[in-house]
Amino acid sequence: MKVKSLVLAGLLAFAPAMAMNNMALAQDNAAAAAPVESANAAAPAAEEAANAAEAAPDAKAATVAAPPRMKPTEGVGMPSPGEITLQEQFSPTGHTARWLHDVLLLPIITIISIFVLLLMIFVMIRFRRAANPNPSKTAHNTLIEVLWTVVPVLILLVIAVPSIGLLADQYKPAPKDALTVKVTGYQWYWGYEYPDAGIPEFVSNLLPPEKALENGEPNLLAVDNRLVLPAGRPIKLIITGADVIHSFAIPSLWVKMDAVPGRLNEKSFTIEKPGVYYGQCSELCGARHGFMPIAIEALPPAQFDQWVLSQGGKLPGAAPAATAAPAATADAAKAPAKTAQAAPQGAASAKL
Amino acid sequence: MMATLPPSPFDRDRRNRRTMAAMFVVGLAMLALGFASVPLYRIFCEQTGFGGTTQRAAADVQVREATGHSMSIRFDSNVQPGMPWQFHPEQPTQTVTVGARSMAIFIAKNMSDKPVSGTASFNVTPTQAGAYFTKIQCFCFTQQTLQPGQEVRMPVLYYVDPKIIDDPDNKDTQQITLSYTFYPVEQDGKAS
Amino acid sequence: MTTITADHAHDHAHDHDADHKPAFFQRWFMSTNHKDIGTLYLIFAIFAGVVGGAISGLMRVELAQPGIQYLQGWANIQHSLMGAEPASLDQAYHLWNALITAHGLIMVFFMVMPAIIGGFGNWFVPIMIGAPDMAFPRMNNISFWLLIPAFLLLLGSAFVPGGTGYGAGTGWTVYAPLSTSGSAGPAVDMAILSLHIAGAGSILGAVNFITTIFNMRAPGMTLHKMPLFVWSVLVTAFLLLLALPVLAAAITMLLTDRNFGTTFYDAAGGGDPELYQHLFWFFGHPEVYIMILPGFGIVSQIVSTFSRKPVFGYLGMAYAMVAIGVVGFVVWAHHMFTTGMSVNVKMYFTAATMVIAVPTGIKIFSWIATMWGGSMSFKTPMVWALGFIFMFTVGGVTGVVLANGGVDDVLHDTYYVVAHFHYVLSLGAVFSLFAGFYYWFPKMSGRMYNEFLGQLHFWVFFVGVNLLFFPMHFLGLSGMPRRYPDYPEAFAKWNGVASLGYEIMAVGMVIFFINVFWSLAAGRKAAGNPWGEGATTLEWTLSSPPPFHQFETLPVIEDAPHH
Repeated sequence: MKVKSLVLAGLLAFAPAMAMNNMALAQDNAAAAAPVESANAAAPAAEEAANAAEAAPDAKAATVAAPPRMKPTEGVGMPSPGEITLQEQFSPTGHTARWLHDVLLLPIITIISIFVLLLMIFVMIRFRRAANPNPSKTAHNTLIEVLWTVVPVLILLVIAVPSIGLLADQYKPAPKDALTVKVTGYQWYWGYEYPDAGIPEFVSNLLPPEKALENGEPNLLAVDNRLVLPAGRPIKLIITGADVIHSFAIPSLWVKMDAVPGRLNEKSFTIEKPGVYYGQCSELCGARHGFMPIAIEALPPAQFDQWVLSQGGKLPGAAPAATAAPAATADAAKAPAKTAQAAPQGAASAKL
Repeated sequence: MMATLPPSPFDRDRRNRRTMAAMFVVGLAMLALGFASVPLYRIFCEQTGFGGTTQRAAADVQVREATGHSMSIRFDSNVQPGMPWQFHPEQPTQTVTVGARSMAIFIAKNMSDKPVSGTASFNVTPTQAGAYFTKIQCFCFTQQTLQPGQEVRMPVLYYVDPKIIDDPDNKDTQQITLSYTFYPVEQDGKAS
Repeated sequence: MTTITADHAHDHAHDHDADHKPAFFQRWFMSTNHKDIGTLYLIFAIFAGVVGGAISGLMRVELAQPGIQYLQGWANIQHSLMGAEPASLDQAYHLWNALITAHGLIMVFFMVMPAIIGGFGNWFVPIMIGAPDMAFPRMNNISFWLLIPAFLLLLGSAFVPGGTGYGAGTGWTVYAPLSTSGSAGPAVDMAILSLHIAGAGSILGAVNFITTIFNMRAPGMTLHKMPLFVWSVLVTAFLLLLALPVLAAAITMLLTDRNFGTTFYDAAGGGDPELYQHLFWFFGHPEVYIMILPGFGIVSQIVSTFSRKPVFGYLGMAYAMVAIGVVGFVVWAHHMFTTGMSVNVKMYFTAATMVIAVPTGIKIFSWIATMWGGSMSFKTPMVWALGFIFMFTVGGVTGVVLANGGVDDVLHDTYYVVAHFHYVLSLGAVFSLFAGFYYWFPKMSGRMYNEFLGQLHFWVFFVGVNLLFFPMHFLGLSGMPRRYPDYPEAFAKWNGVASLGYEIMAVGMVIFFINVFWSLAAGRKAAGNPWGEGATTLEWTLSSPPPFHQFETLPVIEDAPHH
């Protein structure tokens, strides 16, 4: 077992390690290279950004250090070993949906299944040949036939009403001041961009197993650059695919939305608590479909703002002058978003 | 014993052939429907705004402004991987009055040393807003060609149909996102 | 319900004629006899089932524990067969996708459909309606032989390039654009052509069944007197006829998108990849009923036979199947809840999907009511049918959970879905296949199967598949996506259990094959009707096996006094 997982580690380490291309932010290159000091990992990036942004009128935005990389809590925002039910939920729709499943659907389907089983056991005992050698010839009973048509209809109505309500809640569009993040699915990694903060696209790759281990993160779920979001604020993800269809999914936030090339989808939700929430690509997208996980780092709002500034982004309502910073930061961090956008093909083939 | 006489084999064969022919017609009709679904789906999307398909209006269209009702519009841009263009909106968002004509500018630049043509696919989110987002003029209506290094500012003239105010499905819609994806077009006019 | 006058079957004057069989080659390769073609279908389906089952074995072995254990080795073997370099890690991952694709396509198109429609349908529909053969015996033969090149094309696709590695790695759904721009090389073209050919064969078969059932019924055999199995095949044939041409159109456009520069599904040219999904599922959802409805029919016959009672609520049962078939055409987009449809569309598809639970419930309760007051014996076919009823209920209720668009947001494309459709297909359709196989084995072969081995097969298989598929509900609920060759440590426990379940199921299959071969060689000779008074349909009035040509004088079905 141990030997096998080591071999696996080696195998897996190879491809994605090479995949850590120069598009990744300096912060996370640092984090990946020296994960032990991950708390300070962002410092060099911020420093570099600051140097580059010297000329900018508002250099304050870029001198902020990124908050330390958050450690996930075991069993929160990720599957637990041997779990038999839904993951704990951290969004309002997640709670409603989980309630619908746990309180309504699961008991109803369990009762129906057990009811059918008990009926079957009863007839198998009561009407076995030894107990009932002469079969009746009854082949109709209008009352019972009407009953077993109407009762299921009523049960379905009981399910349908809250279910339709859940749908309405789930797809209620976000308010216009929601934090908007652009998510792009690539073969086989994710790209994240913060259009309002002016943070250009950075990519998020699977972390090799030994790095995940060092970071105390679950293997195959851990990524190098997480999608950083604020807890407690409405969030709107606008999602598209660059090459084939992918699906952006976070089970603990009750989020799943396809990333379709040539069209945009949106998904709104709120994260209730700071934490790390993991998910995996959920639409078959080619060879490494199983190896492009998603990790969300939800920060308290103040820390999130700090993170935005550390990336050279601007906060809503900030002076327009601050916009000079992100460009400079992007240059400094050698993560030119537009290059990334213009030539992900090259980047992708470089990974192979 | 013989309640009814069985149909003669000759009758039966003729009936069988007739049934077979009818069934093949049904099958062929379904096949035709399968292919016809391509234009039907497009028409359906255009008519209903299904999937966030936007509407289109003539330049002389008259719309009543719904003063006091504003809508935030977000602009999103994508370029197919491998296409040597930069393409982005001038501003990420705009706030407009519902019913008022507005203009958004997208900036495209050819980064290569060859002329490159492109066409754009587009949709809006939330998808239920598609029936109300109306374009009067758009660079996406036609193919665009950029010379090496050329940068162009491309306008979109649009309005949000005031009927959206009365649509219960859009009562929570505060922001509409308009998204474009540019694809290269090869010299023979065929999309790659 | 009806009494059957079929003493002509023992009309000795015809015996010589009726049993005159053609020579081997002509009999099996140019067959026009529905029973021989049915046998060919069954043999083919069993072979394909072994291939598809072996592939799932490979998958369960790899998934037994976290990490990639064997996939790389298999990919290297595949590459060395092709004389290619050893496989890269990505090519090994691609092999995984090729395996899941092949497993799905083989089980759907080359195992369940040929067995349940081609095999049992061909064998028993003509006999049950008192017809001498199918309406178009030569077309019947073509239907079968089209399967062979289709299957060879699909198997062959594993050995040609299909994008990252060898084989078609698109999933059985063949979604664009992964199947178009995302899969260079001929593998996907071969898989698509394979579907075309198999689909053409199925359409011919469907036309043949419809014509046979409409026109070839014996005098007195009205539609409302037909055995429910015949009803189920009739509804299935209509579903095939209406659904398969749409698939043919959809995958033809995939082919032209791949090879001739069209852009039906390519946003670059004004197409829409979601159109493919709509077309595919317009076919795909009826397709699942195509696989299960004949199973409903088989179970109805068996439950009635072994309860010695006529089917309870016969008309309700027949029209419940019609209702399932009709509603099955207007629920397709519940497979697409996460594609970004607007919320109203989701609400409609949620509600419409739940409606299907009503006729399905009618069927389940009617089977129980058929047993109620009966005189039940628990021969092997009956225990499989009972297993079917319960397992299908479990698969059905998880379908109600998945029908909720809001809940599907977390369960879509997880192992919960895999568990659901294996409960209705692998424990539903396959249980009905085994039930039918044991039920009709004496009739088809003229020999009894071994009752002990049959019961043992059931119990081992039952325990195995439940261990295999029930934990998948847990995996799906906790978020494990489907089509993954590797998974985080947290999913290890239930994957381990599932793989153990596979091994037990495989033992069950060994018992099945021992039973089949032993019974064919040394089984007790079967009487015309081995099941006694409960078996009322026409096949039990014939000898076992039936004469090569049956019903040269048509049987006459008369109204029973109590009907």
